[in-house]
Amino acid sequence: MRSLKGSFLTVVLLTCLLASINAVCQELEPFNDRYCTTCHGADGRGNEGVQAPRLAGMEDWYLIRQLENFRAGIRGMHPQDIEGAAMQPMAAKLSDASIADIVEWADSWPAEPAGITVQGDVVRGEKFYAVCATCHGVHAEGSETLGAPAMAGQNDWYLVTQLKNFMADYRGNHRDDSYGQQMRSMARTLGDEVGIRDVVSYINTFAER
Amino acid sequence: MTDYVSRREFLTLLGVSGGTAAAILAGTALGLLPGGAAAATLDLQMAGTEQRRIAILGGGLSGLTVAYELSKRGYDCTILEASHRCGGRIFTVRNGDLIDEIGNRQYCDFDDEPHMYFNAGAARIPSTHRNILAYCKKLNVELEIFVNENKTSYVQDKSMLGGQRIRNIEYTTHMKGFMAELMAKALDQEDLNAPFSESEAETLLGMIRSFGDLSEDDLYRGSLRAGYATGGFLEHGVQKEIIAFRDLLKTPLGRVLISANEGDTGPMLLQPKGGMDKIVEGFLAQVGDKVKYRAMVASVKVGENGVDITYDQDGVRHPLQADYCFNCIPTHLITGINNNFPAEYVSALKYVRRGEAYKAAFQAKRRFWEEEDIYGGISWMNTPSLQIWYPSHGIHQDKGVVLGAYDYGGGMYHTRMTQQQRIEAHLSDGEKLHPGYGQLVEKPITVAWHRMNHMLGCSARWRRSFSRGWSYEEETHYKTLQQPVNGRHYLIGDQMTMHSAWQESAILSAYWAMADFNQRIPVTQA
Repeated sequence: MRSLKGSFLTVVLLTCLLASINAVCQELEPFNDRYCTTCHGADGRGNEGVQAPRLAGMEDWYLIRQLENFRAGIRGMHPQDIEGAAMQPMAAKLSDASIADIVEWADSWPAEPAGITVQGDVVRGEKFYAVCATCHGVHAEGSETLGAPAMAGQNDWYLVTQLKNFMADYRGNHRDDSYGQQMRSMARTLGDEVGIRDVVSYINTFAER
Repeated sequence: MTDYVSRREFLTLLGVSGGTAAAILAGTALGLLPGGAAAATLDLQMAGTEQRRIAILGGGLSGLTVAYELSKRGYDCTILEASHRCGGRIFTVRNGDLIDEIGNRQYCDFDDEPHMYFNAGAARIPSTHRNILAYCKKLNVELEIFVNENKTSYVQDKSMLGGQRIRNIEYTTHMKGFMAELMAKALDQEDLNAPFSESEAETLLGMIRSFGDLSEDDLYRGSLRAGYATGGFLEHGVQKEIIAFRDLLKTPLGRVLISANEGDTGPMLLQPKGGMDKIVEGFLAQVGDKVKYRAMVASVKVGENGVDITYDQDGVRHPLQADYCFNCIPTHLITGINNNFPAEYVSALKYVRRGEAYKAAFQAKRRFWEEEDIYGGISWMNTPSLQIWYPSHGIHQDKGVVLGAYDYGGGMYHTRMTQQQRIEAHLSDGEKLHPGYGQLVEKPITVAWHRMNHMLGCSARWRRSFSRGWSYEEETHYKTLQQPVNGRHYLIGDQMTMHSAWQESAILSAYWAMADFNQRIPVTQA
């Protein structure tokens, strides 16, 4: 079987080289880790249609940490984390070099704030946010020192999903995910989904749109 | 509704006044019979000297249809296809082909033989889908019969008969027999005489008896239709033992078994010889030079006088200016593209959910099903793998490709598994239908449409509730998306019909858009 692999590939390559413009399959698709925009949208703008968040503007250190968490099965393993479970096998294929390449690519995307889709009680949200501000900053600008990503300008529907996932223990339940564990207990202070929408609607006030 | 006349009464009245022909015409109006047999005709004008540039986003069937029809009329068409192949969910997998699932790339290593292929997406063409059939004829795509339902195939459910497989014909014969017995009992002579004339009642009872193969006393005592236990040729056939009604009711599969021959999947069905993508090849023979592959659309800006598009290819962003744009990118991917669509258009795009259908296939080392009198068709099992399809083509060849799982409704059950878990699940399920299955099949492939690169979903799901039909909100969103933005940007594809998941739908969506477009372009001189 293994010895056949070489000749199999040769046949495929020859077939594709000989293939005319009319062939349905062009050629053996070159492997490339720059897959992100299929789900995360043009220029990593985020795509609500498949619930994939905005990557443009995400901090390098946060992107690396999350890709490594997905790759190691620290994130995206809970069956109820629907989108995380789709991301996990993708990240599992990435090498350190691929992650570095993706981060470099992501840096080239213009970071425009995402549109507003979540409505809530901003005044109530502001009260909730006081505790979040400790790590994420008073303007949700994030802090590398504290390991807390920026949230201003992120897709608000994504923030809602993640807070719900933290609250339900779908995310942050792995023993090696100390930041996630922290968020799990913090998310509980929001009480319920109404609280989540309120705080997200307050976070929405930070980004110029 | 006080003047309500039943269909039967209405037909009776017409039958008296106009005879059979009038009754048949009225039948069309009542939705009982299909309309005329001709394919839809496209009356499109030739391109003029201006407004000739057409951008087609996505090389799916609807996009190819537009490219073919408009190129023929002198328009300058460009197709941007994000992946390495055209056809979208028309996807035939053969030796060497890439299955580009995100996080689970596979290369198919079926034997390199013409009959060793798997239609991982579209797989059946109903004989009433006359527009796709018309293209097959026009593009010289040779067709053959596709067998969907096969009475010698199997049914298996662990709750029925201790999990023992039985033939489809046994299940359906006995079920029809018991149902007929119930019907015959329910309609005693007195009741029958009330709504029906004596001869109508006689006809009805005759049908019920024949439907269920009842004994003269209107009881069901088994039937030779279910197959012989022994004999049948040189000796008298001996009837197989009857299966108790209650046992048949143990499986929910009865619903699909009793209706498998109805609607879109009823006979006659067809398939192109050599794989469904022969249709795509047929189109590409005409418009293949217009396709840009691995060209991912990054932005679509609709202006007053045209559409400005950008796309990424080979790491470079390119502009494409067009006068009109036909877009068959799935709605859930369009929402990830920079655009200037109106808010209600974007809301409608977001409303449509993506399908989750999942298929898997194996290469069979020998055509073991033919050794069990099965030629084509589907076996059903009450497991997540649900179906095994036996190929209608390549009969009596050494090997064949079997479908090992098809979850058309859900699909996420298997999608969420690793490749190894998926295969083990299908082998374990298949074992219940075909003992020794694990040794009979090899070279698995799985196609989880929810994770296929540049698709990320199977057919569009418009309705939130199947039992209630289309809601007002859904109808509104549908109409919003059907109308072109600024009269310049058309959304097409089977997603833009009320009957997604069929190739016919993709073509008809393209026809709707082109007919509308034809009204808007400047009239050219004859």
